[in-house]
Amino acid sequence: MIEDRHEELASLYAFDLLEGAERDQFESALARDGELQSLVRDLKETACRLAFTAPPATPPPGLKQRVLASVTAAGDRDADNVIRPSASVWKFVPWAIAACLTLTSAWLGQRFASTRSELATIRSRQELAEISFQSTQQQLEAERILSQRRMEDSERLLAGLNRDLGVARGLVAERDRQLADSRTQVAALDRQLGEARTQLASVQTRLTDRERQMAALTERIDALAGASAEVGKQLGDARQRIAQLNDELKTQGDLANLKITALASMLKNLPQAQAIAVWDPKKQEGILDVQKLPALAANEDYQIWVVDPQYPIPVDGGVFTVEPTSGSSRVKFTAKQPVSVINAFAVTRERKGGVPKAEGPFVLLGK
Amino acid sequence: MTVPENPDPEPPEERQRVDALLMRRIAQGDKEAFASLYDRFSGPLYGAALRIVRDPTEAQDIVHDAFVTLWEKASTFETDRGSAFSWVITLVRNRAIDRVRMRRRRAELLADSVPSDLGYGEASGAPSVEDAAAMGDDAQAVRAAVATLPPEQQRALELAFFGGLTQEEIARKLSEPLGTVKARIRRGLLKLRDSLAQRL
Repeated sequence: MIEDRHEELASLYAFDLLEGAERDQFESALARDGELQSLVRDLKETACRLAFTAPPATPPPGLKQRVLASVTAAGDRDADNVIRPSASVWKFVPWAIAACLTLTSAWLGQRFASTRSELATIRSRQELAEISFQSTQQQLEAERILSQRRMEDSERLLAGLNRDLGVARGLVAERDRQLADSRTQVAALDRQLGEARTQLASVQTRLTDRERQMAALTERIDALAGASAEVGKQLGDARQRIAQLNDELKTQGDLANLKITALASMLKNLPQAQAIAVWDPKKQEGILDVQKLPALAANEDYQIWVVDPQYPIPVDGGVFTVEPTSGSSRVKFTAKQPVSVINAFAVTRERKGGVPKAEGPFVLLGK
Repeated sequence: MTVPENPDPEPPEERQRVDALLMRRIAQGDKEAFASLYDRFSGPLYGAALRIVRDPTEAQDIVHDAFVTLWEKASTFETDRGSAFSWVITLVRNRAIDRVRMRRRRAELLADSVPSDLGYGEASGAPSVEDAAAMGDDAQAVRAAVATLPPEQQRALELAFFGGLTQEEIARKLSEPLGTVKARIRRGLLKLRDSLAQRL
């Protein structure tokens, strides 16, 4: 089975259309493949048949004479190389001589008759040769002109190439200079890079030291923070203690200014009733602690009075009641008007809610 | 002007056998055989040469040179390598194509010619009634077989045989890719072979 590719190459080969390596490779394959050789032979025969598709044309009659004359001339040239008969046929020599004489006579006659036509043919060939010579001369002249043009083109091309070469050399030199500059810059950058690396190493070393210092400081801060908390706590305690001391000192100072007065019963039927009043002039307030006072009716209250000489009547200190069973009470009171000097405290029995000016009987009095 | 011989009535095998016999006699220096072979071949050889070179004088020179070569080299002809006609038409075609290419180079040199001046691009015209009558069985059979091919294959085979062009030049002339042209030549030639096998 022949591959399509070989069929295609065989078809092209039949028309002598293969060239170069393609032709060599195909002929190599052809030499090894009998089937392919048969195909090529068939295709060549077929291709040659295409000659019959040319428009029919009849060659001129003189062509045959010309061909035959040429062949005859060639035959004459080869006559000297004809092999003579062997010695074994000597018995036919007389007959051969006679035959030769007859043939020679006939040939000489024919030769004499054909000499003129051969001469004419030779003259015709000479004319053709001259025409061919002139044609060849024209061709050579044309090829000379072409060669000259090609040479001129080549010279122009060469000149152009030389110019391009000069430009290219200039470019190469410029590139070399740029390359040298670049190398110098690269060397400088290498140096800078080395220095930067050294600095980086130094910075890294310093950074490491700083990190160690930072760690130590952190530890110390942590320790100080612990100590600070303790100190803060101690400080808080101290401040609290100071506040307490201040309070105590203030209390002691305030106590010195307090007005403490014992109130005695003004009731004859209940002499055991008593009370103690403590007045803080700075705060303008006081505490009254009563004992064994009788419980009052629902429409009555005990009312406290502060006696200050700057006022014509005692200053109202508010109302209170006592616990019915024990008759005691402890009340915080304030004066309705600012008082500065206290001569006495008094308690009266008044209407529910108290009165602006004492109306009821005195229950307790103290100076 | 002489009239070509009448169509050969021999079947193809017999015709080739006679051609081969004539070649053997020519190889032995038989001028009568040579003249007979000339009468058998000169018509199609001259027609093909004229089709390629488009110049009667050049076509005559080509046919002349081919027959002289045939006379001188007849002893080298081998029947198992192809028919005598194929051998001689190859001589004619090669010489004609050489001349066309030389002329083309010359035209390029002088730069005053166009491709049509070289005989390309002209389809072979249909033969007249007289011409057809003058053609032998071979010619009629080949023309009939070629006529069965698609036009593009006919054109490719025509350029391949008569054009004297390379593959690439044929492709450019047909404005087709090279692979397409190769495929057309392959398919056309194979189909022509099969068709001729049936007709001859």
